[in-house]
Amino acid sequence: MNVKKWCALLALVGVNGLAQAGEQVVVYNWSEYIPEDTLQEFKKETGIEVVYSTYESNETLYTKLKLMKGAGYDVVVPSTYYLNKMAKEGLLQKVDKTKLPNFTNLDPDLLNKPFDPNNEYSVPYLWGSTGIGINVKNIPKDSITGWQDFWNPKFKNQLLLTDDVREVFHMALRIKGHSANTTDEAQIKEAYEYLKELMPNVLVFNSDAPREPFLSGDVSLGMIWNGSVVQSREDDPNLQYIYPKEGAVFWMDSFVIPSGAKNVANAHKFINYMLKAEVAKVCVEYVGYATPNKAGKALLDDATRSDPVIFPDKATLDAGEFHNDVGDAVLIYDKYWQLLKAGK
Amino acid sequence: MTRPDPFRWISILPVNLWLWLWVLLPTLLVVIVSFASRDPAELIAWDFTFDNYTRLADPLYLQVFWHSLWLAGITALLCLLLGFPFAWWLARLRPGPRALALFLIIIPFWTNSLIRTYAIKLILGKQGLINTVLLQMGIVETPLDLLYTPFAVVFGLVYILFPFMVLPLYSNLEKLDHSLIEAARDLGAGRWQVLRQIVIPLTMPGIVAGTLIVFLPAMGMFYISDLLGGAKNLLVGNVVRNQFLSSMDWPFGSAISITLIVLMGLLMLAYFQASKRINRAGGIHDSTL
Amino acid sequence: MTRRFSLPFNMTRFAKWLLVGSVFLYLYVPIAVLVANGFNEHKYGTEWRGFTLKWFEKLWHNTNLMDAAGHSLVVAVSSATLATLLGALGAIAMYRYDFRGKKFMGGLVFVEMMSPDIVLAIAFLLIFMALGISLGFWSLLLAHTTFCLPFTIITVFSRLNNFDNSVLDAARDLGASEWTAVRKILLPMSAPALIAGWLLSFTLSLDDVIISSFVSGPGYEILPIRVFSLVKIGVSPEVNVLATLMLVLSLTLVLLSQWILKRK
Repeated sequence: MNVKKWCALLALVGVNGLAQAGEQVVVYNWSEYIPEDTLQEFKKETGIEVVYSTYESNETLYTKLKLMKGAGYDVVVPSTYYLNKMAKEGLLQKVDKTKLPNFTNLDPDLLNKPFDPNNEYSVPYLWGSTGIGINVKNIPKDSITGWQDFWNPKFKNQLLLTDDVREVFHMALRIKGHSANTTDEAQIKEAYEYLKELMPNVLVFNSDAPREPFLSGDVSLGMIWNGSVVQSREDDPNLQYIYPKEGAVFWMDSFVIPSGAKNVANAHKFINYMLKAEVAKVCVEYVGYATPNKAGKALLDDATRSDPVIFPDKATLDAGEFHNDVGDAVLIYDKYWQLLKAGK
Repeated sequence: MTRPDPFRWISILPVNLWLWLWVLLPTLLVVIVSFASRDPAELIAWDFTFDNYTRLADPLYLQVFWHSLWLAGITALLCLLLGFPFAWWLARLRPGPRALALFLIIIPFWTNSLIRTYAIKLILGKQGLINTVLLQMGIVETPLDLLYTPFAVVFGLVYILFPFMVLPLYSNLEKLDHSLIEAARDLGAGRWQVLRQIVIPLTMPGIVAGTLIVFLPAMGMFYISDLLGGAKNLLVGNVVRNQFLSSMDWPFGSAISITLIVLMGLLMLAYFQASKRINRAGGIHDSTL
Repeated sequence: MTRRFSLPFNMTRFAKWLLVGSVFLYLYVPIAVLVANGFNEHKYGTEWRGFTLKWFEKLWHNTNLMDAAGHSLVVAVSSATLATLLGALGAIAMYRYDFRGKKFMGGLVFVEMMSPDIVLAIAFLLIFMALGISLGFWSLLLAHTTFCLPFTIITVFSRLNNFDNSVLDAARDLGASEWTAVRKILLPMSAPALIAGWLLSFTLSLDDVIISSFVSGPGYEILPIRVFSLVKIGVSPEVNVLATLMLVLSLTLVLLSQWILKRK
């Protein structure tokens, strides 16, 4: 049968893709979260090939690594609380800072956070926030100052919220004066009751990228990632970003080394390379999120460096909160999340 | 009786072995896990319990199941209503244009579903294609709310599942013996009579196959509803995914999955029993599927 | 010849073309938008800002995306072919023979269709790890073939369903081997269903995200995962251009094969 022959031939082609030898480091990350040129430069400098694999959510990353018992990848880039969770469950190994001379480039203000005290397991790569997105053509910018404004009845059926339980509860918890990392059921329930009042205002929970409904004119107010606003400014300057007065959600994507990594030495070399000031600068320009790399930030042009959307001041940073792993309280959050969505 | 022949085993064995290894084995694992308990660190704690099933008695899950069933049902029905006449037209074409039309139906689906969904959003949005046309023509004064409504969800579901209805239907209608229809017409049968008593019974296997292929996967789909409907409703697929990836409650997720399979199985069985009784002459022996 | 066979619907010419026209419009308007945005100056495609080839050029240099697309095609073609082969055998077995566990087999097909993707994804990964199958082309092939299998079995079986088994028995009585009888009678008979099943499988495989993200390995990236994991920084129109290229390629192939068939 002809088909069989083709099949065999194609299978051979498929297998060839696998045959790779020599020094390598296997990186598991979001698509194009590191510029391709940077990866090429790294290879030129060290002779180590970067095998770049991608995942589409932190959940997938976590579950896959958990199932594979931390093997299969050398460097992964989880967000804030997933890193916390992975470290707690023994999926990560400690990073050897003596092999990371460039670690000193990092901004001490962004190190030693509660999700990884002393940065034993993680090296920050990029960070950002979830705050308020607003189309200033339709809503005056100074009329909105905080999460609380979302509850205004005039926004009936107009808001965009991210489809993320922790971020949505963050708003209500902060308004009620609680920590967004609370594990206290009474506080979570209080937030849930308050969020129920918000539901008539919600048009959409966005599960892919919150920017696009703003740009297409379907929403004018809602939650958004600061990087999204920065990236689309050129195309549509009307979409702007506000740090809510009750505190934004901050997150950090960090390099970590899974416990079962094969190329640990190369992983360190790779992370150290990514910490170079010039590399950090290129990454910010490419991706649009902030770098925790002080030396890299210094190389950026004035406009970017002093852009309060990308680099909020310390007061704004302190007003917000990084999300931590809440352990088993995730069940409480998920329970109320389901109730919220099911409208009960 | 046929004589024993090696082909018999070639046809029976490989696919059965395949199904045992890749379907039976995982399903058994899921059944076992559904009686275990949650353990966030180890994923599963091996102490036997029925809790995962009793938890499902919560009216919340009934509501979720009902909503998914409703969406899948309406999608399958619309696909059938649109797909049957279309497949009929397709089957009547000459072989050349027919092959072309067949490919034209499937080719849109060789593009990535994410960007395809974005395109649908751009069509349904407030400043989208439909609203722009309606406003320009003066049919409406203010833009219609199409996106992030149940309408958008059904629009998207029917869109992506349409070929899954048309192709099986087509492959059935193609073999329909038209002399039967002509004979019936010659004997004075009316149009509806022909349709009800000849065409539908003869093409029933195709209708059943198409409906199954659309209805069953639609039950588990949540991605379209999240993107086009605004994720304001929970579907069975969302709940299962959350149990596995967010709550890390694999036993409960497994229990939901098993319950879903059993409920749908019973539903199918009841349906086939009923249609067998009603349609004894119809020649539906798909109850094995 | 009378055209009376189309009478059950009494579709007047108008109604017929209205139906066909609206179906194709429904299917192709989103595709037209998608293609247009591959050449739109505006990165997010919410309005037309003029024609550009810059995304095309970017895609040209994006070897990762191109490689992933190539891998996806290879996986889709091989798993659709394997699923059609296995599915056809399975459908023939269910149609032609009585064997123990026949109903059970039908049950498994049903269970497979009903199992949520995430459950299958995790189960596949666990089995691959237990069997020591490394993640890459082969794991993708096995997983994709499995989730395509019900579609091919059902499509082919529904085609064979009403066919009279006695024709085959007659052939057997005349001395044909079982394989010859199947090859000469059943296979040609099920050709449209084989094609339909293959096309559906190919389509499913090309677009799967959840299962693939669990069973693919670092050396063998496929397109849907690559695209979905772009959401962090935003999906670029390069993906639209890539889709356009695939559309053009498939349309060319179809038209070419039509032309060749006609010449024959």
